[in-house]
Amino acid sequence: MVQMATPRGKWIGARVKRVEDPRFLTGDARYVADLTLPRMVHAAFVRSPYGHARIKGIDASAALAAPGVIAVLTHADVASVPPLQDPIALDGLKKTPQTVLASDKVRFVGEPVAVVIAEDRYLAEDAAELVQVDYEPLPAVTDAEAAMAEGAPLLFEDLGSNVVYDQTYRFGDPDSAFQQADRTFKKRLHTNRFMASPMETRGCIGQYDRGLGELTFWSSTQMPHMLRLSLAGFLGIPEQKIRVITPEVGGGFGQKMTLYPEEVVVAFLARHLQRPVKWIEDRRENLMSATHAKEQIIELEAALTNDGTLLGLRATCIGDGGGYSFNTASALVEPQAAALMMPGLYRVANYEARVVAVVTNKTPVGAFRAVGWTAGHTARELFFDEIARELGMDPVEFRRKNMIHEDELPYTTCSGQVYDSGSYVKSLDLALQTVGYDELRARQAELRAQGRYLGIGISPYVEPTAWGSEIALQVGFPFPSHDNARVSIEPSGKVTVAVTTHSHGQGHETTLAQVAADILGVDLADVTVVFGDTAATPWGMGTYASRSAVIGGGAVTLAAQEVREKILKIAGRMLEADPADLVLADGKVSVQGSPDRSVTLAEVAVSSYFVNSVRAEGEDPTLTATRFYDPKATYSNGCIVVVAEVDPETGQVRLDRVVSVEDCGTVLNPMIVDGQIHGAVAQGIGGTLYEHLVYDDQGQLLTGTFMDYLLPTATEVPPIQVEHLETPSPVTVQGIKGMGEGGLMASPAAVAGAVLDALAPFTPKVEELPLSPERILRAIGTITD
Amino acid sequence: MKPPSFEYFAPTTLDEAVALLAQHGDEAKVLAGGQSLVPMLNLRLARPAALVDLNRVTGLDYVRAENGHVVIGALARQRAVERSADVAARQPLIAAAIRLIGHPAVRNRGTVVGSLAHADPAAELPAVAVALGAEMVVTGPNGERVVAADDFFVSYLTVDLAPGEVLKEARFPALPPRTGWSIVEVARRFGDFALAGAVATLTLDDQGAASDVRVALFGVADRPVRVPEAEQVLRGERPDDDRIAAAAEAARAALVDPPSDVHASAAYRRHVAGVLVGRALREARERAQASG
Ligand SMILES: Cc1cc2nc3c(=O)[nH]c(=O)nc-3n(C[C@H](O)[C@H](O)[C@H](O)COP(=O)(O)OP(=O)(O)OC[C@H]3O[C@@H](n4cnc5c(N)ncnc54)[C@H](O)[C@@H]3O)c2cc1C
Repeated sequence: MVQMATPRGKWIGARVKRVEDPRFLTGDARYVADLTLPRMVHAAFVRSPYGHARIKGIDASAALAAPGVIAVLTHADVASVPPLQDPIALDGLKKTPQTVLASDKVRFVGEPVAVVIAEDRYLAEDAAELVQVDYEPLPAVTDAEAAMAEGAPLLFEDLGSNVVYDQTYRFGDPDSAFQQADRTFKKRLHTNRFMASPMETRGCIGQYDRGLGELTFWSSTQMPHMLRLSLAGFLGIPEQKIRVITPEVGGGFGQKMTLYPEEVVVAFLARHLQRPVKWIEDRRENLMSATHAKEQIIELEAALTNDGTLLGLRATCIGDGGGYSFNTASALVEPQAAALMMPGLYRVANYEARVVAVVTNKTPVGAFRAVGWTAGHTARELFFDEIARELGMDPVEFRRKNMIHEDELPYTTCSGQVYDSGSYVKSLDLALQTVGYDELRARQAELRAQGRYLGIGISPYVEPTAWGSEIALQVGFPFPSHDNARVSIEPSGKVTVAVTTHSHGQGHETTLAQVAADILGVDLADVTVVFGDTAATPWGMGTYASRSAVIGGGAVTLAAQEVREKILKIAGRMLEADPADLVLADGKVSVQGSPDRSVTLAEVAVSSYFVNSVRAEGEDPTLTATRFYDPKATYSNGCIVVVAEVDPETGQVRLDRVVSVEDCGTVLNPMIVDGQIHGAVAQGIGGTLYEHLVYDDQGQLLTGTFMDYLLPTATEVPPIQVEHLETPSPVTVQGIKGMGEGGLMASPAAVAGAVLDALAPFTPKVEELPLSPERILRAIGTITD
Repeated sequence: MKPPSFEYFAPTTLDEAVALLAQHGDEAKVLAGGQSLVPMLNLRLARPAALVDLNRVTGLDYVRAENGHVVIGALARQRAVERSADVAARQPLIAAAIRLIGHPAVRNRGTVVGSLAHADPAAELPAVAVALGAEMVVTGPNGERVVAADDFFVSYLTVDLAPGEVLKEARFPALPPRTGWSIVEVARRFGDFALAGAVATLTLDDQGAASDVRVALFGVADRPVRVPEAEQVLRGERPDDDRIAAAAEAARAALVDPPSDVHASAAYRRHVAGVLVGRALREARERAQASG
């Protein structure tokens, strides 16, 4: 594999302020909602108020007659559009097609049933209330296990079952491990359904030019080229006649990697009406119809020897997929990812996993930062805390004993992951040392004597990153993945980097510019990173699964190195020197040892483009290169420790400290790494203590606004201390590993672990999250009725 | 999340506002800080045909000390009241209650009187008004009337205001000497409406016995409630820990039918109401003792 050819320069690894931030902080950034086109009209969707119902008829006449209304479309009008269904070809995965507007049935509250287009969004919403849909309510099923039971109401009658996937995988010899065990343990955990809640909700604008036969589509998406490919397929417009543009995207976290029915409908309408059509989702719609995430029922069994050595694991992961498995293998993403990473960074030689995906009358699920891994990791780590307590071992000691040690790397797990490198024990030790573990245990004992309950939660993790073809296969989703970068030095000597790894908050304009600036010996200010426009970048897949630092950074490295070779060749001719003797730094090329013999990069560039004599016959005058990268699998690691105090009279939790040790190999920009951890840990705190999408048994969403769906705010997130370790990957370009998700993979176990450790004297019983004050009081028996 | 259409009026005097309200009857709503009304409009939970915006009416944003009361006008922002020296000196319970409301951005716009008129049963200020026996000054087409707080709060989001009437000001009695106070609550996040909350004041006589005790709860019924059952346990008695525990138990037992929702069950609210009454009374006792 290609290693870094140039020594580390002044940009990579520097705590550089994000170049994109001034426009965000001054309000100059422009999102889809900020765009206005001539003759533009506005869409509002009519959404199902029922969890499960048959549609007997729709009468749109009153809506059509309302002021400002241009059109009302129902399924009959878009029947030519094929239904959405996940494209993953996995044996035994059943298809649950979703028409873009509901046809005969609705399967979740919030499902789009009709769309109203009016002169503005106010009028569209007024008219949407007038669309009369005749529903025949059907019994609903909102719990995954209930949905699996005999006689449960069926979402898709023709499938004969709500189970869309049920497979058992065996690694090693789990049965004999359990036979040989001195002791076995069991745990059940039902993780809560929560969601990404990006600051900017979904939204798009379609504009169709009939003369050119071209669709321009602005969307808040993480994957512009994949969206273009999908729209071409759904609408029958040639792919090259579609241009997808993302203005600023205010966060995605996986929620915006999915193709949504609303996007297809808006694109359809733009062509149908011959007017630009805008749809900006409001928060209520986002909460009930953008993808939900993270809900699983996990049952674990462990086989151990008396000294606490793990012999084997069994897991059943049941994913509650919601109404449709409509995209990116959506019902399966949770349980499949959880099951394959269940061994984590522990030595587990024998493992059996049953993966079940079920449809229920709730909003469909999709990927959300650390998809599947959050639930799986949380269940396993809380399980290990319980086992350690039962064995009378310190939870740290239990983990250290079973953890893969550095000298065992690279390590191939029983379930097929190849951990390339890392600092598993070292991160654990550093986290404990940073938090002051021994002193905290002493303090905990002191406080308990005063009737105060302090707890410590420990959550070491290994994080799959760099989502290329290899890692996708290793963690259970066989789908090739790669991306591209084009690096160009313009005739003026300035640098344009066009990438397909999209940025929606991650700061790629800074980090990828740092990579290019080092290799090309230019100032950061001379590099502009371009993305989010299919007409301005090469083809690529987009940003998801902590892949952009590795794949974007790697592709930029490879392309920049190629351009660098070109520069040195031209400069060599200009300076009459051997390119091997040249130094490229600070915007100029000079001869090693004689700094006065130099040319500026701008002189080289202008000569390359306009002075034929510096080029050989037939040599490309442009200083540009496009390179793809599909990395080998690489895994980051770290350890999160949380200190919490619990009020056993009210069940309230106060988080005192979070320490996060992070090892993502070569760090491009530590400030951005810190930011990723802060954000992911905040989401983990939310998902463990506050955020919960609650349904009643008819499938009504009871937490439909931010009054009831509780995101953590500044007052709920304690100071987060981040410590960096740096173990470069031996298998990726520049040794980079990804790191976007570890914080949300590992912090819930640390938060919940701290709460349960605090309450250990009460031997709390918890089978469900989040840990609301009431659940805590019930877990310790204070409330029983 | 766009409101249905409504007519918008921005009167500059209270008389004009009252006239507009009278003209539109129960089709009209007053707009003050908008921190409760605007979300309800956007969610289409409120659909008034007309909005009468008070924000351009001059001279309604006062906070003043008057005849042993703190008097708060309809446009005094929560943030201004929270920071008022008169409030700090005469009735610090009001400022402490306001600090539990949302966060500064909400309090910069939201009004004290708007919170009283809105009457969310889990809101802090209505409970303070009930505990202190505040007076509500209502202006309408037929002139002014004064309503006791306990009569003003009728039920969930419902107060004793007829169509055409405006709540002009609220008068909170100042804290008597040797009186301690407390407001405590349990909310899911800091600044949220409370799952349950308790307000207490405690006046000590020369012997250290409680000559006056007031306990009110919020979040546990369809309106803020005084809890005479808890007050009785302490009145005339030395408020030691055991008596306070008995008062807390009495408060718990007195609750009729606390609400259940996605955040907490009736059982949780009942349990925590008792915990909070105990905590509020202990804190009020400490403050009373410290006030000499
Ligand atoms: C994020 C957030 C968090 C919040 N947290 C809390 C909290 O923890 N505790 C809490 O108590 N509140 C909370 N609130 C609500 C806040 O306190 C509101 O400001 C208050 O309830 C209403 O005051 P307002 O001036 O904004 O009134 P508006 O929203 O303008 O009006 C509310 C209602 O009162 C009526 N009204 C207002 N003024 C008058 C008047 N003078 N005469 C007659 N009717 C009138 C209106 O017609 C309307 O029906 C929160 C609000 C937000 C947005």
